[in-house]
Amino acid sequence: MYVMNGPAGSTVSIEHDAARKQLVAALARIAGGDRDALRLLYRDTSAKLFAVCLRILHDEGEVEDVLQDVYTTVWRRAGTFDPGRASAITWLVAIARNRSIDRLRSSANAARSRTLDEAADVRDDAPSALAQIESSDEHRRLMDCLSELEPRHAVAVRSAFLDGVTYEELAQRMNLPLGTMKSWIRRSLLRLRECLER
Amino acid sequence: MSDEPTRDSDDNTPVAGEYVLGVLGAAERRAFEARMARDPQLRAEVEYWERRLGVLASEVKPIDPPPRVWANIEAAIAPSSGRGGLWQNLPFWRWATAGAVALAAACLLALLYVVRAPAPNSPLIAKLEASGGQASFVATIDPRDAGLTIVPASVAPVSERALELWLIAPGEKPQSLGLIEAGRAVHIALPARLIGGIAAQATLAVSLEPPGGSPTGQPTGPVIASGKLTNL
Repeated sequence: MYVMNGPAGSTVSIEHDAARKQLVAALARIAGGDRDALRLLYRDTSAKLFAVCLRILHDEGEVEDVLQDVYTTVWRRAGTFDPGRASAITWLVAIARNRSIDRLRSSANAARSRTLDEAADVRDDAPSALAQIESSDEHRRLMDCLSELEPRHAVAVRSAFLDGVTYEELAQRMNLPLGTMKSWIRRSLLRLRECLER
Repeated sequence: MSDEPTRDSDDNTPVAGEYVLGVLGAAERRAFEARMARDPQLRAEVEYWERRLGVLASEVKPIDPPPRVWANIEAAIAPSSGRGGLWQNLPFWRWATAGAVALAAACLLALLYVVRAPAPNSPLIAKLEASGGQASFVATIDPRDAGLTIVPASVAPVSERALELWLIAPGEKPQSLGLIEAGRAVHIALPARLIGGIAAQATLAVSLEPPGGSPTGQPTGPVIASGKLTNL
């Protein structure tokens, strides 16, 4: 189960808020060495993190290792979580993605062969119906700003984030010169920032 | 290479966004992380993008991991596992000690270099950093009198919990060096049995413990700062 589960409408944000607070409280208890709190945090977030990492690594065995690494890291570093700077789920997703991306980079050969297999595989991930239901204000905000980009640029940004691939692989997959891909992404990031701060 | 991230802040390239997006290669990621450890502004940028782009994760449909994953985690954090917890934390050590050791070394070099030139028993220094890369403590050991001095640099006061200092020699379990304080420098006379384990490459770490210190003789709470000892 995930913090954003819930029926559509205002109930979502109420449940969402409560779930967020619960995660923050769990992290505070974990920082104090409470193993039960880690178990609760794992129960509420592991399916999401597993899926996020699997999307990047495509290998369940590797993702299991990463997940173990992520939660033992959380166990040790919960004291460094600052609720004033990030939400708990943002913090967890960031740790999980960083571990997954580093692992993907360290198995560069495997990644290369996978790139060939998936050369044409850049999914145009229009948000699923589920995602719409789960949608938070922040998510809608990002969607609005992504929709202001060139559609193919938005696909590239989304694919980069979800698949964790390098500029090189992204360019290959979308059949573009590396320099073009870099300028697409960089321009998109600058425009996203402008839009998000509007 | 013209796309070196170290140059990017000058030409308005959103390198923090690139880092969070995940499009950088391994070497670029390490280089960026080293910069970020020294640059709070860059860290704030990364947090901005993690917050903004992180919501895309809500589009990934959750998949339950197999039960053995939790079983492994539980085993890894169990207090009874002798080698558990801190010592298994190698990636953390590497990560937490990367970066600005040089800064602290430079500060204390000025102070200690006058004492004596590097010799077989020259002083050791460690900068203990928190996860954000900011200095939390600076420790020095003078092997001649087996004295360790640890000075807090930037530690938020920790109510109701003790700060315990640990020595981890390569391949060894953490050894407690005693409790320290967030508000003042502490001098610790090192026990004779530990002297042999104190050398460059050993790590000092500070963990949060119950009042009075760890009940188990091993770290039980989170590690808030750590750093490797280096010869001056």
